Amino acid sequence: MRGFKLLLLKEERALFSSEIVYVLAAMFLVVMGYTFSVALFLNRSPSLVHLFFQMYVLFLLTVPIITMRLLAEERRLGTMELLLTSPVSEVQIVLAKFCAAMSLIVIMLALSGSYAVVLALFGQPDWGPIYGGYVGLFLLGCALSAVGMLASSLTANQIVAALASMGLFLLLWAIDDFGFLLPDPYDALVTNLSLSAHFVPFATGSLYLSDAGYYLSITLLGIFLTVRALGRR
Amino acid sequence: MDAQSAHRFNPSERTSSAIFVENLTKWYGPRQALKGLSFSIAPGEVVGLLGPNGSGKTTTLRILTGYLRPSSGTALVGGIDAIEDPAGLRAQIGYVPEDIPLYNNMRVGEFLSFMAQLKGLTAAAAARAVDDVAQRLDVSRVLRVLIGKLSRGYRQRVAVAQALVSDPRVLVMDEPTNGLDPQQIISTRELVRSFAGVKTVLIATHILAEMQKMADRVMILLDGRLLATHVLAEQNDLPRHVRMRVAGSPEQVREALARVDGVRAVQYQADGIDGCASFMVEGERSAESLTARLASAVTSRGFALMELTDVSSDLEEVFLGLLRSRNEASP
Repeated sequence: MRGFKLLLLKEERALFSSEIVYVLAAMFLVVMGYTFSVALFLNRSPSLVHLFFQMYVLFLLTVPIITMRLLAEERRLGTMELLLTSPVSEVQIVLAKFCAAMSLIVIMLALSGSYAVVLALFGQPDWGPIYGGYVGLFLLGCALSAVGMLASSLTANQIVAALASMGLFLLLWAIDDFGFLLPDPYDALVTNLSLSAHFVPFATGSLYLSDAGYYLSITLLGIFLTVRALGRR
Repeated sequence: MDAQSAHRFNPSERTSSAIFVENLTKWYGPRQALKGLSFSIAPGEVVGLLGPNGSGKTTTLRILTGYLRPSSGTALVGGIDAIEDPAGLRAQIGYVPEDIPLYNNMRVGEFLSFMAQLKGLTAAAAARAVDDVAQRLDVSRVLRVLIGKLSRGYRQRVAVAQALVSDPRVLVMDEPTNGLDPQQIISTRELVRSFAGVKTVLIATHILAEMQKMADRVMILLDGRLLATHVLAEQNDLPRHVRMRVAGSPEQVREALARVDGVRAVQYQADGIDGCASFMVEGERSAESLTARLASAVTSRGFALMELTDVSSDLEEVFLGLLRSRNEASP
């Protein structure tokens, strides 16, 4: 546990001392602010549904940038050898890196919470879909971070890691369109792989265990495969 | 001198050795990097692992530091098994990897404290340990400097400092003098010598001259096998050879050289095209100022000394001789 805390602190220091993170967070908030204002003035309804779908798409593009350096940088600098010859386990290293990436995602989500506060001050929002949307975005962030970290563990090149995970996310985003072309039962099989199909219920206020299970399964699989990738040396 | 002797361990050696390796093998896919390596290192010994690139030095060190798992065999550090308890083994060791991997975005003090705490020291103990090791390695001035801004020499010192900060019993160094200037090489050499009798040190290098000045014993590795072990203290028993070219009667010159104190034998080799005679003089290694006395013996009798070269039998000759005999033996 002590090793995990030390590694987490190191990761967070590295993450928050990078200017990329601040540019990313600023861009995220500007786009969110724009979407919130436009959606509010057009619909005149106290809802964050548009915002959640916008955040969902932005996560597909920004999480690979957050996760790309996690392990690729250690591999490039050779510092992985320092970590793996210290009395810490691969699991501790991977979990520390995952939690560091998630801490930034949680901060981005928390900052976007100001829009919910604005709704509460000036209207009567339905809190169910708002809570559901945030739970969905948190789970989506976990799944994307785990897969992004896995891509980062497989290469020493950060750009390759970012492009590989971004490509995979965009494929899983659009895969339900392909599912509609397939006959039964393959359509359901492919649609169930879709990030979008599992996110829509959260954003509209319906929480299903199957959707949460989907994101949690991807998260655990990503973490497990990353640990295995580190162990393969 | 003979590698095979390293395979016959005393029963107590397994537990009393600081490092104990028996029949160690490592495969990388279809390529076998280590082919049944066996050796032991006593506590407080400074031992060099010498071999050309690709001979298995780094693989051996990486197994001993818990970074790699061996394919088969036993590797114990302080009695702790590399396979059964890699975390326990890592806690015993300070490791200086090749190419000095460091976190460029951390400050030196912050990095050393991080490494100390990662090895199990409390924050307060780590702060004290960082001060101690920084003074010892002369990096106190740069504790607040970003590692990315350090020169190669300072980076090397920081890499050694991180290995020493937890005061490990065993220090493992991979090519510690690579890329250093002569002054830095001397400092590193003195530092390693200061550990003799205090810490067990295993150094991998392909630079023969460095080993002669740092290690008590050298293990020569080639193609994943231990070719020989060479106790450097034994070098005093090896003869010293001086090649000379002198203008004059070969018989008279030979007689003059043979009379010099410390000379064991004088061998006349050939006449050169310029009418000079060549000799190989074998002397005692302990004989002081042998070359000066040889020169004086020749010139005082009116002969012209054309060349005098000390070609002493050193580690380099041992190493090259082993390589030659190995190449001759292989088809």
